[in-house]
Amino acid sequence: MRHSADVSRWCDDVADIAAPARFARRPLLRAAVLGRRDEQEHPSAATAENGAEAGTRPLVYTVMGWILDVSPHVLVLHTRQGEQRVPLAACAQAWRGGKLPPAALRRGDHVIARRRLSGGPAVDRIWAQVGRVTGTIVEREGPATLLIDEGPAKGRKIVVIATEAVGRIQVRFPRLEPGYLIDVIGLKHDGFLRALIPATSQPPYRAGHPPAPPLVSGHVPDPVTGTAVWHEPGEEPEDLLGLAYPALDPETSCERAGAAHGAVGDLHAVDPHATGPGCVRLPYLSVGSTLRLRNECAKRSQLLPVTSCGAMARLFCDRCVTCGTSRKGRIADLTLAAFVELGGVLEDGCFNATMTIGG
Amino acid sequence: MLTTFRDVQIPLLAVLLLGGCASKGWRALRARSILAAMTTTGLFPLRSGRSAMVAMCVTELGLGLGLIVTAGGIGASEAGLPATVVRAGTALFFLIAVAALNETRQRRPQAGCGCFGDLSETPIGWRTITRAGVLCAAAIVTIGLPPLHMPSSPTTAGLWLATAALELSLLAFLSPELGEVLVRLGYSEPCELRRLPVGQTLTALHSSSQWRRYAGQVSGAVPADVWREGCWRFVVYQGSARGRRVDIVFAVYLQARRRPPVRVAVLDADTDEVLGKAELASLGLSTRL
Repeated sequence: MRHSADVSRWCDDVADIAAPARFARRPLLRAAVLGRRDEQEHPSAATAENGAEAGTRPLVYTVMGWILDVSPHVLVLHTRQGEQRVPLAACAQAWRGGKLPPAALRRGDHVIARRRLSGGPAVDRIWAQVGRVTGTIVEREGPATLLIDEGPAKGRKIVVIATEAVGRIQVRFPRLEPGYLIDVIGLKHDGFLRALIPATSQPPYRAGHPPAPPLVSGHVPDPVTGTAVWHEPGEEPEDLLGLAYPALDPETSCERAGAAHGAVGDLHAVDPHATGPGCVRLPYLSVGSTLRLRNECAKRSQLLPVTSCGAMARLFCDRCVTCGTSRKGRIADLTLAAFVELGGVLEDGCFNATMTIGG
Repeated sequence: MLTTFRDVQIPLLAVLLLGGCASKGWRALRARSILAAMTTTGLFPLRSGRSAMVAMCVTELGLGLGLIVTAGGIGASEAGLPATVVRAGTALFFLIAVAALNETRQRRPQAGCGCFGDLSETPIGWRTITRAGVLCAAAIVTIGLPPLHMPSSPTTAGLWLATAALELSLLAFLSPELGEVLVRLGYSEPCELRRLPVGQTLTALHSSSQWRRYAGQVSGAVPADVWREGCWRFVVYQGSARGRRVDIVFAVYLQARRRPPVRVAVLDADTDEVLGKAELASLGLSTRL
């Protein structure tokens, strides 16, 4: 009698900003009906009680903002909380397309900085104007300008490969042709990314043909190991702590957005939802589900909510070699803040990760 | 003996051609899109790949049916032109396949042939190319064959069957798809990975005893929220109990059985205090997601 009602109203429309409280409350409701594994450290339950959004826990190691002033010892930032003066550690390093002393950063730059100690005052790593584009090449104009499709949720971006980085990027991405995948890190400019660093090696297959994962017998292994990467905030709040999950429930989640993807019929654009599960078999989850993610390189772990759809990660059957060689496949696409908070180094592009479903 | 060998080729070729077409069609049915189903192969350039795959599927269907129709008396007298055309066309089809497979193997070693839909995603190897070559030879030997008749004696029938079995064994050895078929036959997808429609979950919920117990408290016509975590799908209804606004949360275990386990909890909608909870232990299930 009731079940024939409008299914679409339950969909986890990732653009539905009116629903974060609904998503934040899900772990609490799940815990009520199934029991909670970790009563003490359940971020979404806590935020639900506060009526706040999922994933908006205060940042412990990370500070983000725009540079108002910088000296060899202090960084003055305009943050969401107002002006903030951040002391710089003696060994502080900055990145702005390459390593440079913090004093060389420019006023007006958007930066993300990491503290040495939990809640400590001094920062030792700063990234300025850092950006990343991950997706399928749909057009190439000249030797170095590419139009990249980042999937139904994120749309398209322009990448201009910096002259000094052409050789470095082409070694790792030999096929800069429409239909192939690309993942590059660089400096954000108005309307485009100036690519400087290859974030991975190009998969040899076309974007629409990732290899099928091995079949799983019994239950899906938990925890799962693989690669964790990061993405730019896009329409999300920049200090959001969360991750884009590659296997949201296709019946109630972003696969529906894929069906309406404007690129349907485009010769080279690939709808990642139509290419199968990718090279890792992950259990279906929903926006608001919580996962414990551990950075095996920094030995740091955190409970994070799923905040968006990461179907594009399914197309990359790559490995992270930041500390040893990870298992094949991307298991999480973290927000910028979550990646830094977990000890990730942005210009590395990834870290070897272990993910436990439900925490 | 040679005649028996030639006689067996026509039904074998017809079955293989129709099987190839059917597996591609099945994939299209499952994907609910012909275009989506025709994109897995690396045989064709991207620009013309989809239309070429559709054309290949239609050709397989035409040749398979043509071989059957012209096998008997309709068009296959000694020099029957329709039979000769269909059989020569089949030989040409497999000859082109040998060349295309060999080329694809060199240019795109990671690509599968897509010959039998998504069963053929293994990279093209010497077995796949040899199989196409064997089928091409089989089609060539049928050219000029007189109309087929039922075996005249049990001995002839036995010879037919033995020849067919031998050739099928050879083709099975040359088919990487066979291993995939055997794996899939014995494979049951874990509940965490199984796609199950929301409607099916709601049907199961509404026929459960837990639903009957709490239906009186439900006030919303449709669920306030539905989501999934692993093997469980959660359905939240708004309701009222003893004058308080409550949320009634049902957790439905995702399995194909008609009556899956269902758990329920009732929470105060304003304070999130848990007011009622079903006995969990009696259900004998872990809370694994």
